[in-house]
Amino acid sequence: MANELIEFVLVSVALLAVGIYGLSVKRNAIRMLFAIEIIVNAANLNLIAFARFMPEAHSGGQTFALFSIAIAAAEVAVGLSLIIVAYRLYKNIDIADFRSLKG
Amino acid sequence: MIELTSTPIMLMVILGVAGMAIPVINVIRKERGGSTFYGAIAFAALIISIGFVMYQFYSESIAPAAIFSADVLVDDAFGSFFAIAMLIVSIITVVGSFNYMRNRANPAVYFSLILLSTIGMVLIAFSTDLVMLFIGWELMSIPTYILAGFNKKNPISNEAAIKYFLFGALSSAIIIYGMSLVYGITGSTNIGEIIQGFATLDADLLPIGLLAIGMLIAGFGFKMGLVPFHMWLPDTYEGSPPPITALLAAGTKKAGFAAALRIIILGTVALNLDWTLALGVIAIMTMTVGNIAAIMQKNLVRMLAYSSIGHAGYILIGISIAPFTGLGLQASLFHILNHAVMKGAAFIAVAGIVTALAVTHLDKIKGLGRRMPITALGLVISLLALAGVPPLSGFWSKLMLFGAAIDAGSSLWWAPWLAVAGVLNSALSLAYYGWIIRKMYFEGETEKRIKEPASIIAVMIFSIIFMVTIGVYPEPIIKFAEMASPTLTGVVMP
Repeated sequence: MANELIEFVLVSVALLAVGIYGLSVKRNAIRMLFAIEIIVNAANLNLIAFARFMPEAHSGGQTFALFSIAIAAAEVAVGLSLIIVAYRLYKNIDIADFRSLKG
Repeated sequence: MIELTSTPIMLMVILGVAGMAIPVINVIRKERGGSTFYGAIAFAALIISIGFVMYQFYSESIAPAAIFSADVLVDDAFGSFFAIAMLIVSIITVVGSFNYMRNRANPAVYFSLILLSTIGMVLIAFSTDLVMLFIGWELMSIPTYILAGFNKKNPISNEAAIKYFLFGALSSAIIIYGMSLVYGITGSTNIGEIIQGFATLDADLLPIGLLAIGMLIAGFGFKMGLVPFHMWLPDTYEGSPPPITALLAAGTKKAGFAAALRIIILGTVALNLDWTLALGVIAIMTMTVGNIAAIMQKNLVRMLAYSSIGHAGYILIGISIAPFTGLGLQASLFHILNHAVMKGAAFIAVAGIVTALAVTHLDKIKGLGRRMPITALGLVISLLALAGVPPLSGFWSKLMLFGAAIDAGSSLWWAPWLAVAGVLNSALSLAYYGWIIRKMYFEGETEKRIKEPASIIAVMIFSIIFMVTIGVYPEPIIKFAEMASPTLTGVVMP
């Protein structure tokens, strides 16, 4: 039992690392959004694995994961719409080019 | 089960119905414009909400500041305090938007989103469960991403919104990862059970607890504008529509503090960790960086944005010493309410300047004291209150904060240094506030008075009355803050 939980948590930590790598290296807005979604999914995996394998945990983790998935979808919808508006204005979605605000 | 007539549920119903009804009415009316009409609906809903919170509070059907509850929401004084602060900010924002939104597209959506974001802030303050806290957090954040980019033809507004969105989404991702770790080590999503779980944690799980608390501080710190996480804040405040800047600086930031108080502070106390020094260092860094960066700004909005970072540092003083003196948390709550009104008023004054003159550069506001006397007076009073000049509200909360820091000196050797840093920073901030005042009153030729937007005048008069009244007679709010602050000693139930 416990070993399986560790496998899930290791995958989740790996996903977190992939997300942080993506955020720090990529400068394309959609890639950065993907990286953030990978972190959210790592957290969801954690929640479901803990709810399944921890004997003392109550099932709140699965509820949490469901809410989290729904909220992440709403967030992505808003984020993509902002990125579409940015593309119309700049013809580009490289955030390194968004530098009119400084100081 | 929480009762249906309790404060959070009723606020959700009132604000939710109004927030959903406004777009529906917009579709039925088939008319463009009408910002005053939709604004009036939003204003009425907010006034009813704040009246309901006050009625609940004075009819004494509210529990004293509770930490534990078996439910996801609790109807306590802590939540009521934050709800009142955030509803005042939303009212200021809605009224300040009346003139700004005239002749702009989609006023119905704009006011509806402000109401929905307000529901999120209120739910955060009342929640006692991680799931509820996270839903409130996102309900607050997602509408503000759209509001920040509301001028969609304006590249600056869009840039501000994208930066805000990427950092905001990252902060929620970090928060939910931290929450998943908390759930993993304690086996519960209820904050009361989590605190008890922390207190009886296995020694080998302690590093995970540390990591989880660290992630929560980072995640909530993004919204609060604490220093290593503040880089998005000035850009977003400058690019957003000015009334929305008031909502972000005065509202969502305070909701971050509500969430932090609900979980992080209690968690650190229960884990027996000495995070106080770390929080104290962050407080000093935050206020120093904010105030020094503010001095170098040439733009009124950016200057106020950096000053708002500095004020997050002052609030954090009280939070970092909370485990040692009860006064610390009260002072922080008092400063949170004061800062909400002061900063809200300052940004609405800027919104008035932008509506009437379309300028924010410091050189362009010369002679404002004669061109827009009431707006300028409101800005001056709120700046002086922010600096902590005696007969105004900001003085008392800063006095309480620094007094609490000195009071904690008996058990923490470094606590008085927080007070020293705070006083030095207040002096520093007076320099750039004084510069704005000099530009407005003592420079520029005499120009003709121009017509000031009526809604801005209303907000200015309300805020001046609030700041001066609290400055002269602060006792009721201090009492309210005292009732609202939970006692941290004996948090862990045997």
